[in-house]
Amino acid sequence: MANQDLHAPFSPERGHASLVERSRRIKMAAEMGLARSSRHWSRALRRRLLLLRRGTASDGCGCQSEALTSSKEGGDLGVGANEEEAVEVEARVRALQRLVPGGEELGTERLFEETADYIEALQVQVSAMRALACLLDESREKRG
Amino acid sequence: MEKERFFGVNWQSMDAGMPPEMNSRAAAADQLPNSFLNLGWEQPMHHDAHFESALSSLVSSPSSNTPAGNDSVIIGELIGRLGSICNSGEVSPPSRYQSANTSCYSTPLNSPPKLNLSGMDHQQQGRGGVPVPGNQMAAGKFSPFAADPGFAERAARFSCFGARGYAGLGGQFGLPEAGKLSRVSSSQSLKAVQMVASDNGKEVPVSEPERPAMETRSKFGGEAEFGNSQEASSVSDRTTAVGAENNARKRKAASKGKAKGAPLSSSNMNPPKPSDGENSDAKRCKPAETDGADKDAAVKPKTEENGDVGRKQGEEGNAKPPEPPKDYIHVRARRGQATDSHSLAERVRREKISERMKLLQDLVPGCNKVTGKALMLDEIINYVQSLQRQVEFLSMKLAALNPQLDFNMEALLPKDMHQVLGQLPQQVYPLDMASTAFSYAQQPQGTPLQSIVTNSLDVQGSLNPLESSLRRPPTMQLPRLDGFTDATSQLGNLWEDDLQYVVQMGLGQSQGTAFSSQTMPVE
Repeated sequence: MANQDLHAPFSPERGHASLVERSRRIKMAAEMGLARSSRHWSRALRRRLLLLRRGTASDGCGCQSEALTSSKEGGDLGVGANEEEAVEVEARVRALQRLVPGGEELGTERLFEETADYIEALQVQVSAMRALACLLDESREKRG
Repeated sequence: MEKERFFGVNWQSMDAGMPPEMNSRAAAADQLPNSFLNLGWEQPMHHDAHFESALSSLVSSPSSNTPAGNDSVIIGELIGRLGSICNSGEVSPPSRYQSANTSCYSTPLNSPPKLNLSGMDHQQQGRGGVPVPGNQMAAGKFSPFAADPGFAERAARFSCFGARGYAGLGGQFGLPEAGKLSRVSSSQSLKAVQMVASDNGKEVPVSEPERPAMETRSKFGGEAEFGNSQEASSVSDRTTAVGAENNARKRKAASKGKAKGAPLSSSNMNPPKPSDGENSDAKRCKPAETDGADKDAAVKPKTEENGDVGRKQGEEGNAKPPEPPKDYIHVRARRGQATDSHSLAERVRREKISERMKLLQDLVPGCNKVTGKALMLDEIINYVQSLQRQVEFLSMKLAALNPQLDFNMEALLPKDMHQVLGQLPQQVYPLDMASTAFSYAQQPQGTPLQSIVTNSLDVQGSLNPLESSLRRPPTMQLPRLDGFTDATSQLGNLWEDDLQYVVQMGLGQSQGTAFSSQTMPVE
């Protein structure tokens, strides 16, 4: 990789901000790509992006009914029949809810479905971006 | 080259991973309601006059609400009669049915009639309720018999024999899968018959035809229902039907062998994965006695338990608590567990959830070694986080790699997101104008990766032959985009094709190519 080239176009002070800016935009563009499917998480992502775009606070709707998963976890997942385990599991489910866009509104079962789909979409996204990066690298090198 | 390997490995793994799960999951929702509707009824269509007369007599008696005692006598008679009819009916060509089963008493294609006769009688007596359980409609006809579940089951079976529409649907419309599966089941029933003849173990073989039939049912259920609805007018009490059905199911569980318990209890899982389930269960039928070749190890211990429980309960003789009719998804009550609707529903939920977790386990690399829900969830969370971080990192890298790469957010995010998908087709073609180096900002909005491709690859050359080849993909892919149902799998395909083009272009070019006009619609 032509690493030297990377730093050439911009000096840290001037270029850093723009780098961050651009990377943010690129990331948003990538997320836009993710947001095109018709899955629940995708729609939630779309909503979030739109809200971000418009600059309005998006947290209002974020803390939705986590209560959905509150007490069911013990029963649903608690085949372990352990109080501690159930609590642990529940905590992790909450964490997962926060990770997956739109996960807070979902029950456990649906959450897992959406998670699987989300993971797949992320994998695709990452692969695409990685491939693109490789490609760019190559063409960059070729150009010298 | 690294890229090709990259593509080969990643795309394949992803593509392979996606569709089955997607399909299975998608199918899950559809199949589940029908899952237990009909069990082992793909054979039963007889247009025999005898059946109909038997059936009519049977049907008329319930409407008159005679006490169960009399009916059981009638039923016994009918059983005998049906047996003989079945035997004679065998001779008449089963050509109607792909499975060539002329009797629901598991007459396989090749089985000799005499064997069947002995086996059948045996089976008829022993299997009283066996095939019925799934057949909700049939059972529904005999509400007054709910008191005696076994009776109701048998009655329901007979009603199926006479069910014309049903027969028509089953035999002629002939779901290919149903046909295949019934063939499987018929071969199983052949085994069953033989076993019956040899072992006198009526319990064991009985279940075998049922299970593949169950899978058939899940697909078949729709049409069967449709067909039976015509008949349902005679007597239809769904609630009691379900009650009878549930009891029949438990009874059937009673008569099942060890490994057979698996399909019933896991039948919850079967509908969700019909494609997998059918094959694996069909396979499971065969090694049933030896050992269930389970796909789910978790199910097996339950199975054993259930089988034992079932047999135990069966011997007690229908002393089962009636299940609430509102639950159409049937779960067997396990030993020491409550059988009320709440805990059953709970159990169903839990099973669904563990199923999903298994799905996730397949997706997340390295999750297999981890046991325990909490740990697995940990892994999943870590994986999702790492993926998200990778996206960030890669976007940073892309920004660094190509300073000209930038996005016009205004263009990217239309005010109404719903227009996004609709805009896509229009966006592709306006880009058709071939121009040399221009940054994205000057471009009309395109899809994100489209723009990336546009920008980052140098647009030094003007139109070149590759561009024309690139013109093709947009048209090819638009239909796919419009028909977006399962986003992920299609997305995967799209990505794959698009990026292959990108790679071809990138690799084939020493100079930059004018991608701009032909950038592929990425989503």
